[in-house]
Parts: sequence; structure tokens; C-alpha cells
Amino acid sequence: MQDEITRRDFIRIGAGAGLALTLSPGAPPLLQAAPAAPALAIARNGAPGLLVRKAVEALGGMNQFVKKGQSVLLKPNIGWDRLPEQAANTNPEAVAEVVKMCFEAGASQVRVVDRTCNEPRRCYLRSGIEKAAKAAGAEVRHIVESRFEEVKISGGELLTSWPVYRDAIESDVIINMPIAKHHSISGVTLSFKNLMGLLGGDRGSLHNHFMTKIVDINMAIKPTLTIIDAWRIMLRNGPTGGSLADVAEKQIILAATDRVAADAWAMGLFNVDPATVEYLRIAAKRGLGQLDLKRVKIQEINLGV
Amino acid sequence: MMITLRRISQLLFLTLFVVLFFRAVFPYAGPLPADLFLRASPLVALAVMLAGRTFIATMILALVLLLLTIPFGRFFCGWICPLGTIIDGSDHLIRRKRRPGGQRESLRWRYWKFFILAGVLTAALFSIQFIWFFDPIALLTRTFTTVIYPVFAFSFAALFNAAFKLPVLEDTVYSLYDAAQSHALLPIQQPHFFQSALIVAVFAGILALGMVSRRFWCRNLCPLGALLGLFSKFRLTRRHVSEACTRCSLCQRACKMNAIEDDYTINNTVECIECAECVAACKPHAVSYTLGRNPGPNEVDLSRRRLMQASVAGLASLALFKTAAISRIKKGLAIRPPGALVEEQFLDRCIRCQECVKICSSTGACLQPSLTETGAEGIWSPVAIPREGYCEYSCNLCGQVCPTGAIQPLGLPEKQKTKIGMAYFDKTRCIPWYKQEDCLVCEEHCPLPEKAIRFDIHETRGPDGTLRVVKFPYVDEERCIGCGICENKCPVVGSPGIFVTAAKETRLSAPVSKRGAASGV
Repeated sequence: MQDEITRRDFIRIGAGAGLALTLSPGAPPLLQAAPAAPALAIARNGAPGLLVRKAVEALGGMNQFVKKGQSVLLKPNIGWDRLPEQAANTNPEAVAEVVKMCFEAGASQVRVVDRTCNEPRRCYLRSGIEKAAKAAGAEVRHIVESRFEEVKISGGELLTSWPVYRDAIESDVIINMPIAKHHSISGVTLSFKNLMGLLGGDRGSLHNHFMTKIVDINMAIKPTLTIIDAWRIMLRNGPTGGSLADVAEKQIILAATDRVAADAWAMGLFNVDPATVEYLRIAAKRGLGQLDLKRVKIQEINLGV
Repeated sequence: MMITLRRISQLLFLTLFVVLFFRAVFPYAGPLPADLFLRASPLVALAVMLAGRTFIATMILALVLLLLTIPFGRFFCGWICPLGTIIDGSDHLIRRKRRPGGQRESLRWRYWKFFILAGVLTAALFSIQFIWFFDPIALLTRTFTTVIYPVFAFSFAALFNAAFKLPVLEDTVYSLYDAAQSHALLPIQQPHFFQSALIVAVFAGILALGMVSRRFWCRNLCPLGALLGLFSKFRLTRRHVSEACTRCSLCQRACKMNAIEDDYTINNTVECIECAECVAACKPHAVSYTLGRNPGPNEVDLSRRRLMQASVAGLASLALFKTAAISRIKKGLAIRPPGALVEEQFLDRCIRCQECVKICSSTGACLQPSLTETGAEGIWSPVAIPREGYCEYSCNLCGQVCPTGAIQPLGLPEKQKTKIGMAYFDKTRCIPWYKQEDCLVCEEHCPLPEKAIRFDIHETRGPDGTLRVVKFPYVDEERCIGCGICENKCPVVGSPGIFVTAAKETRLSAPVSKRGAASGV
């Protein structure tokens, strides 16, 4: 667990530059000694809620990440005015299950938020996430433009600061919960890109030199836990989709403490070699996680047999 | 007693008007249609059906109102009209100079409303509809949408933002604010409209006329009141003044409409709005309402000469509107809402009430009242401005709340296939094209299941001389429906790298045979 804490502290907003330097390119990989718990758990074949629970349990359970009395910010993808079966937004049942698990672990508050791409009310309603997460006890609120605060990015290459949503800054724990989808810029959109939903400002401008900027952003916001919804995945015409013909039901949920490893593994679902994905290479170089899956402790749970 | 009842009725109908106004929002659900008041205006119905040479079944309520006016007089003006109620309220706040005792207020502007009515109906007969400027319900809905609602939203947001800074209250305020947004009382994005200054000027002018006399608009200008007045000639009840009358003139002074003659026992049915102020004002209780025909003069204050003048004025304005130049450039960029009828029919029907603009502001927020984009005849008619908002792919609500069918109520599948325009790249501004770097924000947001923005990948030499692989976007003209989200989200500052024109728009030449369902959750 020693590695865990070091890494968490490092990516914490305003991390010391000295520490950043020791972990800059050339520093030894962080996960040399594999910790007792796996860094990546993959649960297959079952209802979305059940798979989330099994995957997080395999990492040691939610109380490894959420301590009694802590506040949690859960960031699913609620970006699009689409229905759950169109697989443009994170699965609402899976989101609700995470909310429940946070409260079981003693969370004082769970907030669910996303700065959407389509009109916010449409996205919150039609994704099914607002209703499901509220029913599980979460606060699901719309973004208020005045609640963004400029955050310094130490170690950022192209971005030195960016406005970040206050809920993300103030929460004790951030859980990043993307859905795995095709995307024409990065090939596949996963956990790194999902954090854009916590950003203010003109996000469109991030798409220019996207690969570097998205890693810069991921140095400003540090999720404790990454859960990738691959229950349904969108294979083409992402990230908006719309046609059920572009959706494949995979019945897979990933949970990870290593977000580079999580994205790298999920790339495989799209037959993309993670080593060819530029943002993952940059992220691994900066010490955000392990790109070489052979060096990651992975646990697989199959409920279908 | 009658006055109390009337005030309750006025407040109830004003409340209903405001509630229905707020219900014009996503998700849109009954039980009453948001455009109920607009559908009930006999003036709108008459002018639009006359100009469009068609019968509009959804406006049947207007006919009912007109028929009720025959036995009951202008009860609409006195008891229902929300603009009338607002004018009553503002008249209370305005101090007027007292008239010398016993002298009746001037009647010299009274004919104007008939003049306006005759003028707009003559024009409508020749297929130019500009009743939109005068109809009180359209006028009020327009003011609510572009002025009152944005100001209301801004004020509350400012209040909440100030409260956010108080650490103790922050969470309570945040949850209250969110509840107001979730229930669609407050918008999530502050609405902004281009024409709000002009629209509020008209409205403020109408209220300011209260300085001249009470209900100045209703007495002298409102063509809906004029129309209802024409029909109220045969009302079944009459104002009865008993022997107890002392000729004190209090009733005449109390009359909001200046409808009581110098004799005090008779009043003009055409002008009377049944407000019962005269009953309450009479100290000896000499005034009452009884059954029977009104003996009063009941004259329509429009001489034959004036009628001729009005018709000539109507025809002249018609000629002016029809011959004014329309910029081909601006018109090419003027995108009509999905389901809009062909332009002439659209303008015959559109009453510029901005109900479509209101409901659109709760989803994609692309619709704006235009100014000269569609020519003099199209002032304040709705156009989509993609740089400000975009047409939400799964929304068909503008057509659901259009009271006149200028925008037809398309079902969602039809709407999603309706082209309102076509997107074009400006390669001198689009990032991949002018500086050979990836962007694709437009492609990312394109909502079509088979994306209308495609791209080619090829190697190119950048401005610095380096070789690189870049994704170059282009538009698939078959698929593009012109929703404009590409233009809206384009990160290029100012004039965008991709923009939508009205090219290839599909307009309906006839109303849809079957009303589509409103898109819901």
C-alpha cells in the first residue's frame, strides 16, 4: 500500500514539484513490487450492479477507498442526450451500485456530476443516471458555472492551469466511472477523457494537441478509483452513437487503482494495442500508471460459469 | 362583490398564463397545452386563417371565445386577458393628473383600435399577416420569453451566486438552486436574446401610456378588444341605472374604459369590458346588471372614411412589406425550425409569440427572434442561430407549442430526418485545414447515428515543415440535417470553422396529417 499513498499524494492538486521531478521520465516504474491487492479487477457476465460490486470487492472492497465520514465525487459519463441502451452514457444501474457501496463504506456524501455536451437536463434525465443515483441516495446536481476554480497543474506540459469543478476539488475521494466507447480522436474514450466532464472553460480547445493535454488534465485531477463500464460498449460512430447496431453487449466491468492499466486493458475490447495509444504512452512516462499489462496484477472474476 | 370576483378571475388567469409559460420547457407534458392562451385569441385565429386561407383546427377555442362574446360582451378583456391585468396593475402605480371635476376623458384616440383592426385584416386578406405586432397575447408571450424570463433567471442566478459565497449557506443554496433548475423554474443556461431591447421597448411603451389614461392600450389600440367589441353588440346583460342616480359622475370616473356616456345611465357596449367598477363606485347603489339589451349608443367609432383610410393603409403596408429588399446572404443563413411550412405559409401563420423560442431555450437554445434576416416581412420570426445554440437531435418541441402550426408538430422520427440546413467547412478557419493539426470537435458532437461529418486521414506537411498525419473532416451532404451542433461547438474563436446555411432545407408545403407526439424522457 506504500506505493498507493505515494502515488495519490503525487497527483494531489498542488503536489510538490520536487516529488514530480523524482517521478519524471526515467524514474523507475511505480508498481515494481506488486501490492497484495490487484491493481485491476475485471468482472464478467452478470447484471451491471453485481459486476461493479464484484470488481470493487476484488480490489479489497470499497472501504479500501472510501473511509468513514469521507465525501465522494462520482464522475460517470452523462455527457449525451441518449438512452442507456445506446451506450453513450455510463450504465445507470452500475452508477447506482457504486453510490450504494460508498454509503456502505461510510461515506458522508456522494455527489454525482458531469458537465454535459448536450443540454444538461436532457442528459441527466434521459441517461437514467439522475433517477438511479438519486434513488441510491446520491446528490445529483447540475453544473453551476460559477463553481469552477482555476487549478494549477504542476508538471503539465501544455497546460499550466485549468478551471476545475469545486466539488472535485473539495471531495475526499474521486471515483472516475467512464463508459468504454469509440472516439475518433483517441480511438477509444475511457477514463482519461472522462475527467473532462469536471472541467470548466472552453473544452473544445483541448482537442488540439489532445494527447498531451488530456494527460495534463489527469495530473490536475486524481481519481482514487477508476471503474470502467464495459457492460455495453460503443464500437462505431462514437462518442455519441445512437444506433443500437453500433452497440455490443460485453457484460464487463473493470475496477482499478491504476488508471493507465485500466484504459490499456479496455483498449483490447476494441482491438486496439494500448502501446500504440499516444496518451497512454505519455501518461505511463509521467508515472501515472503502468502501461505494460504483464506487469500489472490483474484479477478476473467470471460470474457466467 | 363583482369586483372581488373579477379580481380573483384576473389573478387566476394571469397565474395560469404564467404557469403555462413556465411549462413550455423540456420535458414537455400536459395536462394543458403551453400555448393555450395563444390558441384562444380570436384575432390571431381570424388573421392567420385569413392570411393563410386555411382552417386551423387547434384554434377552435378562439371561435368559442368569440361566440361567448356575443351574449357576454368583452368579459375577456375585463376578466381574463393577462395583458389587461398587468396594465391594471401598472395603472395603479402610475399617478395621473386629476381631471377637472365632471369632465369626461377624451375619446379622440378611441377609433384607432378599429383602424388598426381594419388595416391588419385588409392586409391579411391580401396574404400579409402583421397581426403579430398587435395581438395582446402574442405580444405578452413575446415579452415574457425575451425579457421577463431572462431577467427573472438572471436575478435568481445572481442571488444564488451571491449566496454561494456564504460558507454556511452554500450547500443549502446549491440544493435549492438545483431543485429550481430540475423543476424547470430556472433555466440551466441563462437565456440571451438578440431582440429583447426592441421587444421591451414596445411593452414599456404600452405600460407608459397609462400616464395618459387608464387602460390606454385597451381603450384605444388593442385590435383584439376592437374585434371582441364588434361581437359584443348583442350581449344579453345590460347595465341598469335606477332612479336613485344622483348624476354625481362617480361611475363615469370609475370606468376604466371611458365607456359611460355623459348621461351616466347609458354606456357603450362596444367599449365596456364588464369590469363592474361602476357598480362598486356608485354610492347610492343605483347601478346593477340585469338581463336585456343595452339601450346605449353601442356605436363602433369608425367612420366610413376612416375605414377606407385603414384599408388603404393596410394595402400600402402590404406593398411596402412585399417590395422591401431581402439580403440573399442573410436569408441564406436564416435557418427555420424543423417542421416549418414553406416560407410564405410560414409567415402567414407565424405570430412571433416566441413560444417556440421559449421552449427551445430549455433544450438546444438555437432559436432566436430575427430582425432583418428574413426581410421586413419576417421581423421577429424565429430563426436558428447555430453559433448561439443548436437544434437538439432528440427534441421536437418547437412544433409542439406553435399555436398556429407555422411550425408543424413533427413526430421525433420525422424530425430527425428533417433537414433544416446544411453544414459547410470554412477551410481558412477550420483547424485541421488551415494549420494541419487534429481537432474533430464537430465530428465528436455530430448526433447522427451514421455521422454526417466524416474525415480522411493523410500525411501532410505542417506549417513548420514537419510531416504529420492529420484527420481532415468533411460533410456528407446526404446525411447532414443542419442541426448546427458542429458550428455551435467549434472551438475556433469568432467566426467558426464550420457553419450551417439554409441550403437543402426541407420545408413542408402542407400541414402534417397526423400530429407527432412530443419527445419525452
